[in-house]
Order: sequence, then C-alpha cells, then structure tokens
Amino acid sequence: MSNINIDAIKEQTFDVIVIGSGISGGWAAKEFTEKGLKTLVLERGKDVQHIKDYPTTNKYPYEFEHRGALTLEIEKANPIVSKCYAFREDAMHFMVKDNEHPYVQEKPFDWIRGYQVGGKSLLWARQTQRWSDFDFEGPARDNFAVDWPIRYQDIDPWYGYVERFAGIAGNKDGLAELPDGDFLPGYPLNAAEDFFRGVIKNKYPDRHVISARCAHLSRPQQVHFDQGRAKCQNRVLCQRGCPFGGYFSSNASTLPWAAKTGNLTLRPFSVVESVIYDDAKGKVTGVRVVDTNSKAVTEFYARVIFVNAGALNTNLILLNSKSKRFPDGLGNDSGLLGKYVAFHNYSARVSAEFDGLKQYTTDGRTPNDGGYMPRFRNLHQQETGFKRGYAIAFRAGRDVERDSSPIGADLKNNLINGKLGPWKMHSHMMGETIPKESNFVSLHATKTDNWGVPLLNVSVDYDENDALMKKDYLEQVTEMFTQAGFKNIEPNAKTQAPGLDIHEMGGVRMGNDPKTSLLNKWNQLHACHNVFVTDGACMTSTSTQNPSLTYMALTARAADYAVQAMKKTEI
Amino acid sequence: MNRRLVIKQVLIMAGGIALLPACVREEGQSTVSWKNIKLTLDQENFLADVAETLIPETDTPGAKKLNLHLFVLKMLDDCYSSVDQQLFLKGMSQLQDKSYDQFTKSYTKLSKRQQQEVLLQIQHDKSKSPELDAFYKITKQQTINGYMNSKYVMTNLVKWELVPGRYNGYFPVKSA
Repeated sequence: MSNINIDAIKEQTFDVIVIGSGISGGWAAKEFTEKGLKTLVLERGKDVQHIKDYPTTNKYPYEFEHRGALTLEIEKANPIVSKCYAFREDAMHFMVKDNEHPYVQEKPFDWIRGYQVGGKSLLWARQTQRWSDFDFEGPARDNFAVDWPIRYQDIDPWYGYVERFAGIAGNKDGLAELPDGDFLPGYPLNAAEDFFRGVIKNKYPDRHVISARCAHLSRPQQVHFDQGRAKCQNRVLCQRGCPFGGYFSSNASTLPWAAKTGNLTLRPFSVVESVIYDDAKGKVTGVRVVDTNSKAVTEFYARVIFVNAGALNTNLILLNSKSKRFPDGLGNDSGLLGKYVAFHNYSARVSAEFDGLKQYTTDGRTPNDGGYMPRFRNLHQQETGFKRGYAIAFRAGRDVERDSSPIGADLKNNLINGKLGPWKMHSHMMGETIPKESNFVSLHATKTDNWGVPLLNVSVDYDENDALMKKDYLEQVTEMFTQAGFKNIEPNAKTQAPGLDIHEMGGVRMGNDPKTSLLNKWNQLHACHNVFVTDGACMTSTSTQNPSLTYMALTARAADYAVQAMKKTEI
Repeated sequence: MNRRLVIKQVLIMAGGIALLPACVREEGQSTVSWKNIKLTLDQENFLADVAETLIPETDTPGAKKLNLHLFVLKMLDDCYSSVDQQLFLKGMSQLQDKSYDQFTKSYTKLSKRQQQEVLLQIQHDKSKSPELDAFYKITKQQTINGYMNSKYVMTNLVKWELVPGRYNGYFPVKSA
C-alpha cells in the first residue's frame, strides 16, 4: 500500500514546477528543460499548439461572419474585454470572457486576460524596448517605492540572451535611455515618420524618434530556423497566431523548444489553487491543482517553484497560499503582498494631418507599428511638476478616402477608385505610474470562482501625478506636431480605466530589504528560497517601456541562478 | 462569372455555414431564418432592390449578385439593438409605402432612375422619420461594408493581401 503511494508521489514529482505558460513561464520552461531538469508547466486554460490551434490565422476578412465585428450579444455579455482592441471576431477565442472568470472591481479596472497555453504571448503588441539605469535607479533617485535590487549591468547580458533567441528587430540608436541590444535589422520608418524624426532632431536635441523595436524575425538566424520559425511576412494579423512563427510567442518558440528536450510536461486545464508550504521542512514542497474540467484536486511536487501566472494572478496564488508560517500569504512577512500594484498610463492620444510628402505612400504592412520616442521628461534630473515621464508611440499612414455620399454607379466608382488622402499621424502616451500602497489587490472574503479559489479584489486607480503627466503629454505632442507643420491637430484625453494598457505590474515587488519587499535580487522570495516570481508581479517600478522583454530577461536570469543554487543544494 | 463561383459567393455572403436556409418555411417568409428579426420574402426582395439601387450591376456585379441584402440583414440581426431592428423594419415599410404613394407602383416595379430618385430624396430629407432614417442609414452603411468586404471586391477590385511579405515606407505615388 505504501509503495503505491510512493509511486504515485514519484509520478507527481518534478525538479521544477512552472505556474503559467505565458511569455515568462515559457522562458522558465525553456531554461530548466534545456539544463536537464524535469519540468512541469501548469496552465489553467486550454492547450494551443503552434499553427494547429490558430483557427482563424489564414482567413480573409469576408470569411468572418460579421467581417470582424462583434455581435451585440457578445458585446453586452463582455463589457470589459470588449474594450480591448484585440477582442474582435478573429481573436476573441484567445481572450477571457467576462463571465467566465469574474473578479471584483473595487475601482474600475479592465483586467484583460488570455487563459490558454501561451497566455497573452499570442496576443501581445510585440514591442521590445530595453530598460536603462534611468529606469532601475528611478525609485531611489525620485524617492518612491523601494530601490531596485538590480542595475542595468545585472540584466544587460540577459537582455542579449533573450533577444538572440526571441529575435528582436531594431536599430542601434546609441541612446543611453534606451540601450541597444542584439538586434535583427530594424523595420524602416515611413516617409512621414522619418520627416517627423528629422524635425525633432533639429528642434529638440534631447528628444529622439527611433524605429520601434519589436519581436519579429526581420532576418531569421539559424537559432530561429531551429525553432521552426521563418521570416515575418508582414501580415500584421499577429493576434490570430502566426503560421510562420514570425513573431515571438511561447507557442512558436520557447514551449516547443522545451518539449524537444524530452524534459517538459505541459498540463493544461490546471488551475493552481495554492502553493504548498511545509512548516516542518521550512520550504515549499509543491502546488495544489484543480482540474478545471473534472474539478479533481491533485498535488504536484518539486524542489523549485516558478510562479508566472500573470501579474495579478501570481498575487492571487501567493495570497491564497496560507500556512502556519505564512498566515497572510506565502512569503508575506512584510504585509506588502498584493500592494504597490502599478501599470502604464495609456489614456491620451494625439492625431494630426500632414500635407507634405504627397509623392510617397506605404506599400505592404509593417509589424513594428512605426516610431517610438523614449522618455525625455525628468530623465537626467527632476524638471517638471510631476514625477517620471512617458514614452510616445507614433505611426503615420495615408488612408484611401472613398466618398460614399452618392448612390448608384457613382457610389460604386468611388468605392472602387478611392483617392489617397493626406498623411495622418497618430500618437499615444505610455506613462510611468508610481506604485503606491493604496493601489492593491486582495482576496475577496467570501466570493470564490468555479474552482473554489477566492475572487480577486482589484483596487487600482490613477492619481494626480498621472493627470499632470497626461496634460504634459498632450501639450508636448501638440507642440511637436505644430513644429512639424502638421494640421488638424487633435488632442484626445480619452478616459480609460487602468488595466486596458494590459501592463499591470507589481504586488510581489523586488527589493533589498525583506521588510519592504517580497523578492530579492534573484526574484526569489526573501522568506522562502525555493519560490521565484519572474512575471509582472515582481516589478518594483514600471518605467515606460513595454515590459515583456524585461520579464523574459529576468526569468532567464533567475532560472540560471536557481539551477546553480540547486547544484549547490542551497535550495 | 461562372455559376459555381456565384453559388460559392452566395454561401459566403450569407455568412457561411452559420446561416443555413430554413428547409421548411412558411410560404412568403424570408429565405433565411433570423434570430431576432422577422420579415417576409417580399420584404427581403425589396431590400435586395434597394441594395441594388445603391450598388448596381455595371460591368462588375452589383449588390444583388453579391447577396448584400442578406449581409445587411445578418448584421441587423446580430449587431444592432432591438430598438434599431424595429426602427429598421418600420422604416422599410415606410419606404415601400412612400414609393407607392409617389409613383402608384411598388419600388420593385419602378425604373432604375425612379428608384434612385426615391432613395436620394430620403438621403437629402432632413426631416425624415426616425424609422426611415434608421432604415436608410443601416442599409447604406452595411451594403457598403458588405461590398468592400466581399470576396469579389477583395480579390478583383480593391485587393487585400493575406501575406504581403514586404513593407515600403517610401512607395512612390503614381501621378494621375
């Protein structure tokens, strides 16, 4: 009898368990399996295999029942996720419907999720800009949150490591605030974007427009062919999943790579209810999993646990992992677990028209979405009435205008033979928000989901600093567009709740001091050394860059450290 | 255009497999069973004539051949509120009445020029009823939407590429 139990436990035992298969979980899986460790990856959603499970990937617009639009029924049933630009007929099967996984909005927060193998790495906007020391030194210099326990030099080699494997297209721009990486050729700016770059270069020596760096294979290398990926074909239908593997996702890259080692066990439909802390052993021994279909509860065991469930769900799992030693959630000696959640402020845009360069237009499509201006406000020193600053995304294009006012043959003629309109320039802000104790997530006292896991309360809001920064963005872009001679400049202070940026971060922040942070410089829980958090939950501050590249680099770095610590039997 | 292509297009325009024609239907009912709206075969044919007036057959297919009226109804049925649906259906009757009042003939029997005249009157009438307004706006908008997003237009007239494989940000504009 006891032998059977021992066998059963053996079958359920791995070297490492990775919770989550998204952009950071995929990297953890790759690193551990490559180093010969038996790795279990738990995914709460369905399996999505590269190419095979991209049902819409090769569809033409007329093959969609509503030509891409949402039906009223779907829109009404999903007021939250319907706000997301990617929730359309071609990709809505990769996004969580509101009623499937409820949460409690103590303040308005649009929580956009992708519960499937690959997570949101299938859907991300693929922008990959490095952080610099202007970012890592930010909290210490400007006196907010806590000091990052790492600096740029700690992560620099790991950025290069993940860039070479993932494939990042970009130019060497030589900017201290946006360090160069190990790039494939960058995508070019178009005529109007390039013109704007020139204007800024002349009139604002401290501001720089570059071609946005993105996770696309502009010129694949052997390591990409080895992953089964090919050159990006400029489809820009990425949210459907790419049959060429032209952009980086867990599905196209890290997970199949991990599977090839023979060391990967991938288990979809597995919600992690909690991480199991053994009070006697003084460490974590495994995780408790609920099968989402059968609701059966199973335990899996491992020496090391990586929590990569997606920023807020990582908070949820740790908060729900209670033991005698940790009554308020795993590793939560400081009482700060779930607090200091932050995000990116995307709540303003400016558009304009440009009458010049009519001899050019664009042909084909670009996957990098145009130009990018890294943060210039308060970069070297505090110089405005608000803390930190914002990056700006730019994109220009010429629409074909089709006058639909007539009817009959004239209408038909206008529709078929459109006229090329002027260049239109669009920009949006990506503002750094300041993590605060009052922006937090917590467990709901009574409500649980279908699997008995408490619902997450989300209490996150903008503050005065965000409002001042937004005003400055609107003023500055209006001024820059005016300098460029653009017409019909339209500042748009659209309101959107936090969350829709899909850059939620923090709650399990890194720091040097266990009294004021949860994770050390290796993304290891201060109070429980065999648990690591390397997704967005670990972020001490948010900076302005799209965060995924940093999650990837932190994950590879932490996994390397964990393997060494296991060898030395420290964990 | 060969017959097989037409049939294929009819099926696609009708929304593919999700829109199976009702096998057993009451006499005079629409060829498609809709979820939320109810209309007669007569009304369906009338809408086809209106769509054809908006986008007529020339040397290329028009709305009728591309079954755009069924696309308009599909969108009306799935993507508009019940308030809009009711306004649309009432507006459709009002237009039928209007053409009869004006020419003592049903819209279908009017000349092409007369049909255009009726629609242009509605388009330019600033004091038209909310029902007519809803009917005309939705019909025109979705007929254009269906046309521009039809397989025929996307493969023959305004081509859409699934796999461009290129980007040129300095593409020279051909002078007219």
